[in-house]
Amino acid sequence: MSPTKEDEPKIDAVSAKEPKKEPKNDAEELSEEDAQLKSELEMLVERLHEANAELYQPALDKLKEFIQDSTSSMTAVPKPLKFLRPLYPLLCELHSRWTDSTLQSNLADVLSVLGMTYSDTGNHESLKYRLLSRNSEIGTWGHEYVRHLALEIGDVYTEKLEAAEPADDLLRLALDIVPFFLKHNAEADAVDLLLEIEAIDHLPQFVDSLTYARVCLYMVSCVPLLAPPDDLAFLNTAFQIYLSQGLLTQALAVAIRIDDESLIQAVFDATTDELVHKQLGLILSRQNSSFKTDNQDVQDCIANVKLAEHFRHLITELNLLDPKVPEDVYKSHLESTKFGIGSGSVDSAKQNLAASFVNAFINMGFGSDKLLAEKDSKSWIYKTKGAGMLSTTASLGAIHQWDVNEGLQVLDAYLYSAEDDIKAGALLGMGIASATVHDEVDLSLLLLQDYVTNPSKKIQTSAITGLGISFAGSKNPEVLDLLLPLVTDTDQPIEVSAMAALALGHVFVGTCHGEITSAILQTLLERDFAQLENKWIRFMSLGLGLLYMGKYEQVDDVLETISAIEHPIAKTLKVLVTIASYAGTGNVLQIQELLQMCTAKPKSEEETEEDSEEKESDEAEVKEDAEDKSETPEGESAQGYAVLGLACIAMGEQVGQDMSLRHFAHLMHYGNPLIKRAVPLAMGIVSASNPQMKVFDTLSRYSHDSDLEVAINAIYSMGIVGAGTNNARLAQLLRQLASYYSREPDSLFTVRVAQGLVHLGKGTLSLNPFNTDRQILSKVSLAGLLTVAVTLLDPKSFILDEHHSLLYYLTPAIKPRMLVTLDEELQPIKVNVRVGQAVDVVGQAGKPKTITGWVTHSTPVLLGHGERAELENDEYISLASSMEGVVILRKNPEYVEIDS
Amino acid sequence: MGQGPSGMPGGNAGDKKNDKKKEKPKYEPPVQSKFGKKKRKGPDMAAKLPNIYPNTRCKLKLLKMERIKDHLLLEEEFVMNQEAFQPTEAKQAEEGDKVDEIRGLPMSIGTLEEIIDDDHAIVSSSSGPEYYVSILSFVDKGLLEPGCSVLLHHKTVSIVGVLPDDADPMVSVMKLDKSPNTSYADIGGLESQIQEIKEAVELPLTHPELYEEMGIKPPKGVILYGAPGTGKTLLAKAVANQTSATFLRIVGSELIQKYLGDGPRLCRQIFQTAAEHAPSIIFIDEIDAIGTKRYESTSGGEREIQRTMLELLNQLDGFDDRGDVKVIMATNKIESLDPALIRPGRIDRKILFESPDLTTKRKILSIHTSKMSLAPDVNLEEVVSSKDDLSGADIKAICTEAGLLALRERRMQVTAEDFKGAKERVLKNKIEENLEGLYL
Repeated sequence: MSPTKEDEPKIDAVSAKEPKKEPKNDAEELSEEDAQLKSELEMLVERLHEANAELYQPALDKLKEFIQDSTSSMTAVPKPLKFLRPLYPLLCELHSRWTDSTLQSNLADVLSVLGMTYSDTGNHESLKYRLLSRNSEIGTWGHEYVRHLALEIGDVYTEKLEAAEPADDLLRLALDIVPFFLKHNAEADAVDLLLEIEAIDHLPQFVDSLTYARVCLYMVSCVPLLAPPDDLAFLNTAFQIYLSQGLLTQALAVAIRIDDESLIQAVFDATTDELVHKQLGLILSRQNSSFKTDNQDVQDCIANVKLAEHFRHLITELNLLDPKVPEDVYKSHLESTKFGIGSGSVDSAKQNLAASFVNAFINMGFGSDKLLAEKDSKSWIYKTKGAGMLSTTASLGAIHQWDVNEGLQVLDAYLYSAEDDIKAGALLGMGIASATVHDEVDLSLLLLQDYVTNPSKKIQTSAITGLGISFAGSKNPEVLDLLLPLVTDTDQPIEVSAMAALALGHVFVGTCHGEITSAILQTLLERDFAQLENKWIRFMSLGLGLLYMGKYEQVDDVLETISAIEHPIAKTLKVLVTIASYAGTGNVLQIQELLQMCTAKPKSEEETEEDSEEKESDEAEVKEDAEDKSETPEGESAQGYAVLGLACIAMGEQVGQDMSLRHFAHLMHYGNPLIKRAVPLAMGIVSASNPQMKVFDTLSRYSHDSDLEVAINAIYSMGIVGAGTNNARLAQLLRQLASYYSREPDSLFTVRVAQGLVHLGKGTLSLNPFNTDRQILSKVSLAGLLTVAVTLLDPKSFILDEHHSLLYYLTPAIKPRMLVTLDEELQPIKVNVRVGQAVDVVGQAGKPKTITGWVTHSTPVLLGHGERAELENDEYISLASSMEGVVILRKNPEYVEIDS
Repeated sequence: MGQGPSGMPGGNAGDKKNDKKKEKPKYEPPVQSKFGKKKRKGPDMAAKLPNIYPNTRCKLKLLKMERIKDHLLLEEEFVMNQEAFQPTEAKQAEEGDKVDEIRGLPMSIGTLEEIIDDDHAIVSSSSGPEYYVSILSFVDKGLLEPGCSVLLHHKTVSIVGVLPDDADPMVSVMKLDKSPNTSYADIGGLESQIQEIKEAVELPLTHPELYEEMGIKPPKGVILYGAPGTGKTLLAKAVANQTSATFLRIVGSELIQKYLGDGPRLCRQIFQTAAEHAPSIIFIDEIDAIGTKRYESTSGGEREIQRTMLELLNQLDGFDDRGDVKVIMATNKIESLDPALIRPGRIDRKILFESPDLTTKRKILSIHTSKMSLAPDVNLEEVVSSKDDLSGADIKAICTEAGLLALRERRMQVTAEDFKGAKERVLKNKIEENLEGLYL
């Protein structure tokens, strides 16, 4: 199987000494066989020097034979090569003298192999003679030789590139080598070689059904680490290979990563099988894709129409139908405190509001609850006040999430309420209930559009937010028509404009929509400076940033336009747009820039003006800091966004995720209060729904910070990190925090929300923005997480104030972490699957298992972070490559039941 | 590393403590108490660098490594800049002084018996009595574990510091600081043995990716066996000389200790030290001292020896993965060893050292005589050509003996006559050894 390890000296610590002593000892110590071999080799070389040209060919053949036959240990140089080494210059000279091209080519062949032992001289002799030789059977010289050639090709190619010389001959040679690599289980080498000579697009022709899987896996896992444009080239090549091998779901995943509709269309065109189309649609639906097809059934799959049904199936099977009350997750009897909730020291309306949120989170999508669903459900709503009633009513939408008809029906009743708050809440709830689900009617749009221009600001903003949540990622043109005028209209209050811009950012996330871009920029230019100081303006900027999410190639123009804005807000705007556009790329240069931004003191630009202040005593500084805490001027909050950006960018790949935690530790150590406030949020974004010990340990330490806002953000992030996992340890930590902060209404509120998040959907939902084997970053999910994080940069003015309904921007990011299997009629069926921890199998030899420590379950099952499922037997064939979400199974025609 | 979604049952005990403490309202943020649990040495979990997969030689691995490097450079840049902005060194020094002041001098040393809560513990001082004392806030609580040595304030007896507990000093003695001056060049013959030991011991430490590519686990250890004087220890010395890995060498009999349980403990500590200094090679000479077959024994001493061996078995291939620790054992009585000790998985390669053949003998002789001043009439061929059964050690003995004979006669050269005499002497001694066997 494996190629013989023939040649090449392994120069390591062990054998380094050997060559030195050998020349000395050779003469005296050669064994008889060795001596014979040496004399024979010398004789052969001698013969090549003689005048008799007829003997050349046989002598060369013999020489080759000697070299090829020699096998030896990995640690030593094969003997023939050792003995021929002193004769090498002689042979080189011979090569230049000969005139017969065939012979010359044959000799070059041999010289090329010998040249390998001269590798330390660095003049690429091996490659030089290889190019002079016309023999094409490179493989006969063994694997190590080919590898050596590949190494030299890479070096020489870079040299030639610098010298601007053509490198066609190298390419030709490389293309000879690649099939050899692929045949010998060295896909990584093949891909690396083509990467070195920038010819990855030549790969598909060599790949066959045996090798494609490993090749593509390797390529895809290289992508996040490659600098553009290589990463795109890799993705495109992987896409071609998958498509040509008929692996449509994998091809689709790559196409989604490339973010090119025409490629997605190509995947759909590649087959006429409607069932496969449906499966593809189901994968698209997880990205909230706006892709359109003609087939209504497939369109339904994309639009998540059946999501509620599948989710209900899951919870029925898992026996989770019973609604829970907030107390079930508070478990306050375990909180060993004398000052319980009922102690009256806390604002009870606030606690009731928290209970509403918790109720919404734990019963999300279940369609039933105990708090609000009682006959006279309004009674609970009236237990909260003001804006609290808004959020409480809206929580009904969350409970009926994905089930549009039911949800709208329930909420419709509240629309006729006399109170503006309840009405607004109902509108928001409608948006939430229909989040990510769109049928052809789009009832929510019909209902909400009338209220977008409602004179009451509350109702208006709720309707706008509702639209933003409901149509996140859908690129719906009607929403655009509704909201765009609100953005541009300078007569509208800044709050409305900003919310409209944010909603549009969510709906058109990652589209680079030109019209909205210019509208937002125009508004920012037209609004007067005083308004730009407003706290709401950040959502305007965020909306703009979201438009460019993941589109770093197209962001330059916008950044230039932003520079035209003279207000300090330009800086914030720039940061937000940049971080969104590089989200998930892991780009180190951007991270560096952001870190540098965090290094600089926020006031450094205004130093000229503030010089006098600087000279003042430290006391003034302290005062300033105190001011900083209470109200941060928009222009200076760029550092906070930079920290969040660090998370967004670094989350793209595993190494970045781990290393970003170290950055955060430093930021926490050195940063100013603003940065400190952002760090816990950033940690939450990086490991959403992935409760790692090291992360929530750190967060729990921050949750006792003396700066209350840092603590609040840390608590919220603990919720995000454990979202939907039911993690017992986190729950315990939160309970401790609940008693610790029992006198701090704001902190307690956050603790409750975090508790609700940890038990999100009773542990069936997830906030993780990555799906399909953690390959695809869902922009909609990230947008949701980022939005809430941005609001929490200044918790006191939004979430803890009246605008807690902004928390609902999380809803588009919430996805069930389920695996539901469907038969060919799209009816749920039960099959046995193995669920286990996913193993990174890139570049491993043989056929390693992709999961470890598995447990067999029958579907539907829940998949935790980093878990993967596979079918237990081959009775069914999965149409999707990664068993996640909703998967269609097809009966295996070749399945034979094995009776035990 | 990744934690499962369910909670960690191990943490409950510590948390309960916390709960109790919460009864009194506190305004200071409490530090999470996580001590009392054994903590692995090494960098903090959060600060640890991520592991890199795959292990094969490929661009992906390179890219990942480079990515880590980039991030580290960024960190360095950031920290440097921040230090430039707001230097903390002076502050730290000042704080250090303050801490020293609080600690006071002299400090007494005690043993931590039990941790009560976040800032109280029971310690026993060397003089006998046990105290309930407070732990000062600047003490690194991560290092505290029951049984460790702590620094105590001389008056209040509160804990003011933790002493790093070192492994048994005996173990550090075993660590080889100065490598022996025997190299592979000093070994005559034994080519195949050298190759085998290189493949099994050195190559996995220097080129782990070769094994990964092939999809196999590298061997964990080798045993060298063969007649006395065939070069087992010599080869081990050569390995120690060549390798850059930590080399621990012990003799089997060293593991036999006076007190019950000391032997196994020493054994554990050796492997622990090896793991800390990984990659490392452990060489156990004369393994038959503890590795003999198990049998029913009434003698406590023998049972203890057997227990030591059991510990060794566990360390070789037990529950914990030892990582980059390779074991070389040497014995000349492999048949008496316990089969469990040398099963594959513990010892994957058994390398036989045979009595040298003619060419090898010639090589050995030439190595030994290379530094001797020989008379021109000496024919080395003659010394080794006979059919006598000579081991490497015998040949060395002949050379030494010949030199001694020459010295006796105050000659500056060793003659052929000397060699002849020396050979006779050595052979005679050898035969006597054999004769002795007859009487047994």
